[in-house]
Amino acid sequence: MSVVIESALTAGLASLAAGLFWLLGWRLRRAHALMSALGVSVGFLVLYWRVQGRPDFPPIDATQWVFWHALFVLPLGWLAGIGASYRWVWVWGALLGALWLFAPPFLPLLESGFWQMPVGVGYIVGFALATWLLMTLSAPLGEERGLATPFLIALVGGVSAGVLFYGGKSASLAQLAGTLGAVVGVGVPLAFLRGFAIGRGAVAVAMFLFMLLWTTALGFANLTLGQLALLYLLALTPALRLLPFVQRWSPIARFALPAAILLLVGGAFVGIAYNAYMAQSGDYYSY
Amino acid sequence: MMRKHTRGLAYLTVLAMLVGSLQSVQAQAVTYRIDPVHSFIIFRVKHLNTGFAYGRFNTFSGTIVVDERNPANSSIELEIDANSVDTGNSQRDDHLRNPDFFNTRQFPKITFKSTRVRKINDTTVEVQGNLTARGVTRPVTARVTFTGKGRNQRGQEIIGFETTFTIRRSQFNINYGLNGGLADEVRVTFAVEGIRQ
Repeated sequence: MSVVIESALTAGLASLAAGLFWLLGWRLRRAHALMSALGVSVGFLVLYWRVQGRPDFPPIDATQWVFWHALFVLPLGWLAGIGASYRWVWVWGALLGALWLFAPPFLPLLESGFWQMPVGVGYIVGFALATWLLMTLSAPLGEERGLATPFLIALVGGVSAGVLFYGGKSASLAQLAGTLGAVVGVGVPLAFLRGFAIGRGAVAVAMFLFMLLWTTALGFANLTLGQLALLYLLALTPALRLLPFVQRWSPIARFALPAAILLLVGGAFVGIAYNAYMAQSGDYYSY
Repeated sequence: MMRKHTRGLAYLTVLAMLVGSLQSVQAQAVTYRIDPVHSFIIFRVKHLNTGFAYGRFNTFSGTIVVDERNPANSSIELEIDANSVDTGNSQRDDHLRNPDFFNTRQFPKITFKSTRVRKINDTTVEVQGNLTARGVTRPVTARVTFTGKGRNQRGQEIIGFETTFTIRRSQFNINYGLNGGLADEVRVTFAVEGIRQ
């Protein structure tokens, strides 16, 4: 089977898994919070399994934590969707959960001496706090009906794939990020169902997984801190829709602003990474 | 009294002979340091089911213990710097170092340690050992051929061996591109020259 067909099949299966859980959540309103998070989690598990194979537990290879964390983040995703009066539980739970989840994948870099202790601890705490902020700021996007939220998050996945491929020089992390975008993107056709929203949990889990993929590329592959910072800012772009003054804009303008930033800045960013990649060697290496 | 002394001397003589023979047995095993300048670790893997991509590791070290009288006493230990992978293309080398392949930031070393050496014929032995890559240890068996013995320009005794064997990279959790991009089988050739210590 060709690599292209194989990749398309992987994206299709992962998206199908996510779509099934979201449809269940749409029908069973009481289970919506859990199904919302489960859709992204299960979609990513399917995706990882097909791209990387079966991971060990506990992982020998630290990059395999990405798979297990797609499961372990599930309670946080579910918490993201609980009632507004218990929202503080979600905020504190996300903070503690992020701190707990970001330690194991990066401890081997401290043990191997690749990161010095204070620097490494700083990275881990910084990753966790940034992820917590991204999750809590972006989660309300999941409540919005319509195709804007899944479409914008799918764009984040597309930009991530380009930067991880050319900047991080990891084809598998790029494929995981890009297909994660496609998994969330299945919410675009589902948005035509009456009253459908992907849910806060889906957004929270997707943002967590994006951040884990980027930080993994920083720690273990060739992504630079500058590239990580720009990806992070781009991932915050969809949340611009939630700013009070932007909420007074027309629906098209609220969609166009983050979409334009993602397409223009993200596209330029991928272009720069591509040029730097090509400048490294005269001959194109296509993996 | 005289008989006691005679018996004591006889014991001492036997003991001295035993120690001497043990030392001569030990002296049969000679240790060689792997000469990285005149040794090569080359690998090849099929790309897109079409052509073979070749690469090598430039930095490695180790020792070979050779016992010609009793090959079972022979052994080899090898440590490879995974970051020294070289395929003639810096982009591909970066890719090989990252988590798609060797994940060198977590696993900077690839090691091999023999567990058993068995003589096949006068120039060939079968070496069994444990190969560790990307944190996974798997048994590997290779037929090693003696390629020569001599002295270098410094007058040091040198010895040469060569082996070619095939591993499945998926056994070491190196799974990237298995679905059509890169073959699972990797053929490894190790041509070594050792300098007597």
